[in-house]
Amino acid sequence: MSDSAKLSHTAALILQTIDNGSSYGFDIMDETGLPSGTVYPALRRMESEGLIASQWEPEKKALAEQRPVRKYYRVTREGAHVLEQSQKRYPLLARLTSKSRR
Amino acid sequence: MPNGARLPFAVALSHWIVAMAGTLVPRAQRGDWKREWLAEIWHRWQFLRHTGAWDRREKLCLLRGTLGAFQDAACLLAAHETLWQRVRERMRSPFVCLGAVAALLLLTAIVSGGLPATRELLSGRSDLMFIWRHPDSGGRDQPLPADTVAAWATHSRSLQGIAAFQVGRPTRDQPLLMTVQPRFFEVAGVKPELGSFTRDQAIVLDHRTWRSLAHGNPSVVGSHLKVGAISYPVAAVLPRNFWILSRQPTIYLIERNLTGMVFAAAHVKPGVTQKQLDRELTKIAQDVCYYFFDSQLRYSSWNEALLTPLRLFGVALLLAGLMAMLVFRFRFRGFRMAAARRSLFFITKAALALACVFAACLELSRSESAILLASRDPGDGPFLVWLYVLGTMGVLFWAIADQRARCRVCLRLLAFPVRVGCPGCLLLDWSGTELFCSEGHGVLHVPHMAPSWDEESERWISLDESWQGLFAHGK
Repeated sequence: MSDSAKLSHTAALILQTIDNGSSYGFDIMDETGLPSGTVYPALRRMESEGLIASQWEPEKKALAEQRPVRKYYRVTREGAHVLEQSQKRYPLLARLTSKSRR
Repeated sequence: MPNGARLPFAVALSHWIVAMAGTLVPRAQRGDWKREWLAEIWHRWQFLRHTGAWDRREKLCLLRGTLGAFQDAACLLAAHETLWQRVRERMRSPFVCLGAVAALLLLTAIVSGGLPATRELLSGRSDLMFIWRHPDSGGRDQPLPADTVAAWATHSRSLQGIAAFQVGRPTRDQPLLMTVQPRFFEVAGVKPELGSFTRDQAIVLDHRTWRSLAHGNPSVVGSHLKVGAISYPVAAVLPRNFWILSRQPTIYLIERNLTGMVFAAAHVKPGVTQKQLDRELTKIAQDVCYYFFDSQLRYSSWNEALLTPLRLFGVALLLAGLMAMLVFRFRFRGFRMAAARRSLFFITKAALALACVFAACLELSRSESAILLASRDPGDGPFLVWLYVLGTMGVLFWAIADQRARCRVCLRLLAFPVRVGCPGCLLLDWSGTELFCSEGHGVLHVPHMAPSWDEESERWISLDESWQGLFAHGK
């Protein structure tokens, strides 16, 4: 846990953005202003560390709307704990993401 | 796409980028990975289209965002353990080692532009010969009196042609200056690329000097160039592949009446031996009242001189071989069929690497190395010798060390180093590092310190079939 707590500012920003409700890769890019080459590898890493979990949305719903199925990300319990620690470490984190949401 | 509509160019290009990047993604993850990226691209496009923001700027943004797929794919590739294991396993193969050395040789050939200096060794230049005087007591080569060369040109029956020349002191930053008689080029068997050799008191530029001084301008023939304090007309430019005495950039000053001390370049008639030639030339010199009291004529055939690098390489290889035998304490244990395959691999590997060293050093030193001027310019010949000594030593030491780190059966590099024993308990047991063959053929024990009671510096233990279960993954 102590290793996970030492999340980089970029990773913490992405985690915070997911926690705020941005569930898709391109949405996270928009919210954080980070390039896809940073966001996606960070998502893969955080997923392998168990901080976030990914899931495909129900196929029926996508088919009904005649669009491809999207994969969305959500913060896990462990991820929420690490995010809490990261917020203490980076006090402006919550403000940064809430600002960008506006 | 769900609606099957024709995609805009930017979206189609994004799909193509994802397809390209997808080739990097491990096969097991590729399907889901592509699906996620394509879905994100589609949703972004649809969102922008519906909000009326699908303009040029957004198209570029989409493309830029899609380029990140390469980084994403690279990260997945790097994290894929099985793939790296397979790569590491392949790297241990003896064929990879041979391939790498062969690739190095190929790279040398490409970088040097087709190994021009090495190929020159194979092309003789008829029976061109250089003549000078060498003191009986040793020391540096001496030139000959110009009158003697003139007498040889008139009276000799063994020579087809002879021309005198003088060589200026070689310098690093200026072209070499050679003063030559007009027939020098005829004797050397070269025709001008531009101009002619007929003019007296004119200069001839070799190809490199023409490129550097005149920037390859053909109209330089007929114009004047300053050599030292005097300005001379440029009579001709020599072809690209021509060099004589030295590969340094050279300016030839044509001087019909050379006086003082000179060297001679000669063309010998076919069938004339060096002994016959020496007898005749000495007699003619005596007839014009020149006696070689304390020296004798020295002849150097062009074809023989071309072989000088081979001789230097041979000496360097011999030295390196002796050194390696002393350092690695070789003992010949007789011929065994089992060792034939290993020996063949070692010989092929070392031969390829040595060929690479030979060619690379020769090409590297080709602008400096002066085969015939080596005795006049001590900086040139020894440079190549040093390169060869260091190169051959490096190759032999590497080849032996690499051979020792390979399995005795399959020739793969050994892996999984494990430290065994206690370095402080040498009296009770040995300690060292054990390396395994990943195919399960055996274990190599490399002692940290060779005990005095055991002269074997390394031990190879062959594993029998009962061990195969442990290494089943390799089958």
